[in-house]
Amino acid sequence: MIRNLPSESNLCYQDPGPFPSTLRKLDKMPDKDHGGLEGASWGTVSLTRRPEKGLVAFLRNRAPLRLLILWVAGIRASVHTKLLCAFLLVSLLIVVTGAMSLQAMRTMTHQAQLLDQAQERESRARQIQQSFTQQMNFTALALIIKDEATVQKILRENNRFNRQLAMLEEDIVSKPSVARELIQLIRTHQEEVMTIMADIADHIRDGKFDEARRLQLTKVYPLFEQIEGLVAQVLNAEEKEKERLRQSVTESNRRTLVFMSIIAAVAFLLALVLGFVISWSFILPVREAEIFLGHVAEGRFDRSIQVPNRDEFGALAHRMNLMSKELDRLNKEQRESAQALQRINEKLQAASKAKSEFLANMSHELRTPLNAILGFIELMLDEIYGEVPLYLKEPLSDVQNNGRHLLRLINDVLDVAKIEAGRMELRLEKYLVDDIISSARASLQSLAEQKGLGFVAGAENGIPPAFGDGGRITQCLINIAGNALKFTETGRVEISVGLKDEMLTYKVKDTGIGIPQDKIEKVFDEFHQGDATITRDFGGTGLGLSITKKFVEMHGGRIWVESEQGKGSSFYFSIPLIAGHKGKV
Amino acid sequence: MSNKTILHIEDNEFNRKIVRDLLSRASYRLIEAIDGELGVVMAIQQLPDLILMDLQMPKMSGLEATRQLRANPKTANIPIIAVTSFALSGDDQKALEAGANAYLAKPYSPRELLGLIRKYLPES
Repeated sequence: MIRNLPSESNLCYQDPGPFPSTLRKLDKMPDKDHGGLEGASWGTVSLTRRPEKGLVAFLRNRAPLRLLILWVAGIRASVHTKLLCAFLLVSLLIVVTGAMSLQAMRTMTHQAQLLDQAQERESRARQIQQSFTQQMNFTALALIIKDEATVQKILRENNRFNRQLAMLEEDIVSKPSVARELIQLIRTHQEEVMTIMADIADHIRDGKFDEARRLQLTKVYPLFEQIEGLVAQVLNAEEKEKERLRQSVTESNRRTLVFMSIIAAVAFLLALVLGFVISWSFILPVREAEIFLGHVAEGRFDRSIQVPNRDEFGALAHRMNLMSKELDRLNKEQRESAQALQRINEKLQAASKAKSEFLANMSHELRTPLNAILGFIELMLDEIYGEVPLYLKEPLSDVQNNGRHLLRLINDVLDVAKIEAGRMELRLEKYLVDDIISSARASLQSLAEQKGLGFVAGAENGIPPAFGDGGRITQCLINIAGNALKFTETGRVEISVGLKDEMLTYKVKDTGIGIPQDKIEKVFDEFHQGDATITRDFGGTGLGLSITKKFVEMHGGRIWVESEQGKGSSFYFSIPLIAGHKGKV
Repeated sequence: MSNKTILHIEDNEFNRKIVRDLLSRASYRLIEAIDGELGVVMAIQQLPDLILMDLQMPKMSGLEATRQLRANPKTANIPIIAVTSFALSGDDQKALEAGANAYLAKPYSPRELLGLIRKYLPES
């Protein structure tokens, strides 16, 4: 997603371009790429999620919802406002649903009322019918019984009929009804009946029964039949009306149910979509940020984050991009510095190598003539070239000694140079402590004899074969013991070796001039001897002890001295019986 | 002339002279080569009884010459004493690996060298 967007500026909170363009750009991207924004396209990121599957991812990546999510994200409003709007919208849906329900209830109540009225009208029509029948019965009875009471009953029933008819008419007038015309007709007939009935009643009171019966048969009955028919029609009409209303109520109830269900479903779906869209419009930038920060955490500062949001998340993304740029800049700077250092280092290494090569060559060049000098002198002293006169023997020996000394100086200087260049390596192999003692004894025996000093060298019994650079250890022991012999005029020099806790400790004890307390810490420093004049008097480079210390330390050991001025010194160095593979200084 | 032959391969004139002088009192026949290439040629032609090989030489190093001599069946069994310039530089080990029988570090004592020669090639 990030890679596909050419410009970040129109996606950022601070500098938003027209939103539709953003939408279009986002929309152009293949679904797979978009969907895989946490997955497929970031296969190398360690915190990568697998490409999402399932309903949520499906919905989120399909056109209408995705566009909606991007649109909501792109709305330039704060997260707070967006959430508030969403909640208000959901609340509004609830209110609308409630209002709809109330309306439906009102409609249903009205329908019920109409039904009740129809019921009432039907009931009245039945009462009219009954009253009419009573009227007929009483008329017939009056003609038989011929008394005033029965006549009164006829009139009473007649009035009752009138009242009920009036009430029914009132109902029908107030409410639309098919029966209105029928009622008018009934009333006309009834008024006629009442007139005739009044005549009949008068005839009965006057005793004119035949006249009354004639009226009854010829006028009242036909009218009665007509009225009966009409009332029956009214009843029928009201029944039909009631049935129609009942059906209407049922229909209305069904419609209301369906309508309410739809309203509720739509409200539910809307709320669901709203929640989905708004939550994803927040989750998307968070996920982007997670991926982006993952890259940053892995040191990939060249990435940028693009989110469609123009809210706080957009601002956050913008800040992250600034941070990334700054980190990238710093990283590049740092890398350039490192490269510069690397180049300098390479030059230094080349220089150091050149120096070492120079020293190695010098070593050869110096040794070759020295070899010749020492060789010829030895041949001379061995009288290969004939007898050497006595007076020449001493100067020849002096030349030989100085030549040997020069050789030691060359060796020491080369050792120091190698140690300083870090090119001194130990050659670790098996060796015998006894061999080292023998070598030291062989090297120094003649010097001790020359000076008339006692010289004892020996190792504790039962020391097993050791592991280390035997040649260098020998060199160390000769350096120390050679010094001891050099600085001892009378007495003895003793070399002893002991093994304790897997550590070999070499001890060289002399009865020499000793070392002043204030100089004792410096004896292992380079070019340092107890007194500057000592070098002149006793010779030596002042490098021997410093080299010895280095070799001892390379073996993982340590060196120290105990001394009392005027009485002598004891030099110690201890190294592991089995030296580790440290190899270099 | 039943004297045993020693081939000295060494570029430095003075070092050759020392060996020449050293062996003047001993009953060996000495032949000399001034570089590795010539040394190999002379060794194959004359088949000496012992070779003294300097390691640092122009044209062909002593190590290379030693390897070539060891690779040739004619010279494979001739004892070779390598003369290294510095015992502690690792040349001694390399010399033995290349096929030398012994090594001696420069600067060497002529007496020591004679002892070593006698060890590998007793005088007749």
